[in-house]
Amino acid sequence: MLIYWKTLLEIAILWFVIYQIMLFFEGTRAIQVVRGIAIILVAFFVFQRLGLTTLDWLFKNFFATSVIAVLIIFHPEIRSGLARLGQRHIFTAQLRDEELDYMLREISRAAEGLSRDKIGALIAIEKIDPLNTFAENGVMIDSKVSSELIQAVFTPNNPLHDGGMIIQNGRILSAGCFFPLAQNQDLNRIFGTRHRAALGLSEEADALIIVVSEERRDISLVYHGKLYKDLSQEGLFTKTKEIFKLKEPNG
Amino acid sequence: MVKEKITILSRVKHMFLHHPWLKLISLALAIISWMYIKYEMIVR
Repeated sequence: MLIYWKTLLEIAILWFVIYQIMLFFEGTRAIQVVRGIAIILVAFFVFQRLGLTTLDWLFKNFFATSVIAVLIIFHPEIRSGLARLGQRHIFTAQLRDEELDYMLREISRAAEGLSRDKIGALIAIEKIDPLNTFAENGVMIDSKVSSELIQAVFTPNNPLHDGGMIIQNGRILSAGCFFPLAQNQDLNRIFGTRHRAALGLSEEADALIIVVSEERRDISLVYHGKLYKDLSQEGLFTKTKEIFKLKEPNG
Repeated sequence: MVKEKITILSRVKHMFLHHPWLKLISLALAIISWMYIKYEMIVR
């Protein structure tokens, strides 16, 4: 009976750990690798049970060497994951409900104004993962969030209008920042550089990224690799608030 | 602003409705990994 409970406990702990790993990678490009590893594990098990020793040997050796390859290819995800471990809930604890409401209303108002005037914009709002690395390659602003200031920054011919804006702790941290572009080649045909940068950043951090398209005049929101298109001012406010209220996925 | 109240029922609902497929796949993987490790331990 004791062995039975120990077995259940071991499986439960393994389940929890595997689920947390999969949850952590959900919405990033690393999820495909995690799926691949899962398939290899199943194949491993089947080969071993069927007594296919050659394939078992091959998979064992392949798996051992591929660990190094995974570490090199996915170092941004691993880095952001380790940073996230020590940074949980810092931002959400700092911003009060009224402040969050005010900030999101101002951003939504700015997005609506920019879309009306056919001006493109890219705004990233930090949630838990720090965006300081991306902020450093832009110009530091450190100002209170206001619709007018956001619109002024993205006005064409302004020196900062070309890059992305980062908002941290309810303040505009920097503008003119470069975000990593999404690697998916299929996106080229559908989206411009702004959307690709938004999707790229969302693969590396849990930020909420707002994109205003100057060609189509539509407002989109990108979060964890998902794109919410054609949002109105109120729709953007509701969606951003809903995502901000979401706790970090922990099951 | 009215904050949503977190009840035990909402927590239980969340447990089943939040990523159900991910939970099932991880359970299957946990069982397979456990069996694989046990097998390796017996063989060696």
